Amino acid sequence: MDVSGLIASHAAKFQSVTVEKDTPPEVDVGFLIVTDLNPIDEESYGADLESHLQKLARDGTQALISKLFSLPTTPSPDGPVAQLPPPTTQIPRSKPLPKPKPPTKWERFAAAKGIQKKVREKKIWDEEKQEWVNRWGKDGKNKEKEEQWITEVPLNADVNFDLVKVARDARKERVAKNEKQQLQNLKRAQGTSSNTLEERKKQIERTVATTRISTASMGRFDKRLEGEKKLKGVKRKFDPAEAPADAERNASLALLNKMESDAKKTRREPDAQDSVLNVRKAVRFASKGRGALALAKDSRSKSRNAKGSRKSR
Amino acid sequence: MRPLTEDESKAVFTKLANYIVLYPFLIQDLRNEPYCFRLHRDRVFYVSESSMRLGISVARPNLVSLGTCFGKFSKSGKFKLHITSLDYIAKYAKYKVWIKPNGEMPYLYGNHILKAHLGRITEDTPEHQGVVVYSMKDVPLGFGVTARSTVDTRKLDPTAIIVFHQADVGEYLRDEETLF
Repeated sequence: MDVSGLIASHAAKFQSVTVEKDTPPEVDVGFLIVTDLNPIDEESYGADLESHLQKLARDGTQALISKLFSLPTTPSPDGPVAQLPPPTTQIPRSKPLPKPKPPTKWERFAAAKGIQKKVREKKIWDEEKQEWVNRWGKDGKNKEKEEQWITEVPLNADVNFDLVKVARDARKERVAKNEKQQLQNLKRAQGTSSNTLEERKKQIERTVATTRISTASMGRFDKRLEGEKKLKGVKRKFDPAEAPADAERNASLALLNKMESDAKKTRREPDAQDSVLNVRKAVRFASKGRGALALAKDSRSKSRNAKGSRKSR
Repeated sequence: MRPLTEDESKAVFTKLANYIVLYPFLIQDLRNEPYCFRLHRDRVFYVSESSMRLGISVARPNLVSLGTCFGKFSKSGKFKLHITSLDYIAKYAKYKVWIKPNGEMPYLYGNHILKAHLGRITEDTPEHQGVVVYSMKDVPLGFGVTARSTVDTRKLDPTAIIVFHQADVGEYLRDEETLF
């Protein structure tokens, strides 16, 4: 009995499970990614591209699937379940790195002078109380002088000298100064960004242009300052000359429609055909060609004269 | 050379609307080709699309004329219709006036049309309406504006002016240098 045929067919059946490569493909099971680092075999690539690609894809998929099946499984009602290990491939950031905050005035000064930043602890040791107290805030050390029950008055002090008030005012002033500096830092940080700077420049230019033509002669006879540039007007823009004639026809038809609807909106003089009397001509005839105003004036003065004469009679 | 702006098209169309019905004029295709208006050195040209495309490649100072000159814009932005547009206007004219053969010569020398020379006139032509002037053999000669409506002309004496002269084909000889 010859079983070599059976053996060969059996071997052929399981040959597809193995992947033989010079460098084994890298498999990242976490992301289900296979990377084949082998150089492309030029011969088979040139001979039949389709089969080469198919073979490549098959090898990769096979490598991934054999890796998947080697994972430890836990039984579940839906069948065995494998937990994917965490991925090893590095994926690039989706968002750009946040921009560093622009340095404050103090930070710039410190950098120039080489001053190292010291972290000040929030708590401070109080010798009298023999305990750690807040540097600022509730029962802060900075409010010590304001809150002590007895205050020392300097020798030649004013009659109504109030140390509590003086200390409090000084503290409040320091807070206000700090807030002001913070605001200035913020403002400086905003000002440095190129976009707003550009905008500001444009705005200033617009203002200058407006003021230059805001004189009685529209800026025509004003004295030129040194280094002043000539004002640039708004450049007219036209449609491209090579636009297709069809598009232009549509535009002109739209314009025609608009013109017609505009004409309908405005009140028109009734046509001469509609009425028997041509009013314009009648006025011309009655006023002997001097117009409606003269006619109205005449009739008014006539009636006034008539009234006056009746009275005098 | 450039297309007309909206204001310019409006000026051209309102002027043309005095003489013709605009809609069929605008949708017409001459020789199976769409036509368009182009402005070059204040002059408005009515050009086929293909010649317009050819004209694009000519530098502005070298381009003298293209298509048919319809008229020109004055410096104050008013549009004046030229006699060269007569062929297109005559095709879509709303109101027409025919003049007798003895009136043709005086009209072609730039005179107004008198009642004595009037052959026929479209009925119910209103006063101050743009009209196209034809000879009795239906040859377009020019265009003008009516001085009186059709009804009023009946009572006038023969020397009264019926149509004010605006343009006539005699201008081809008289204004040869400035016309195109």
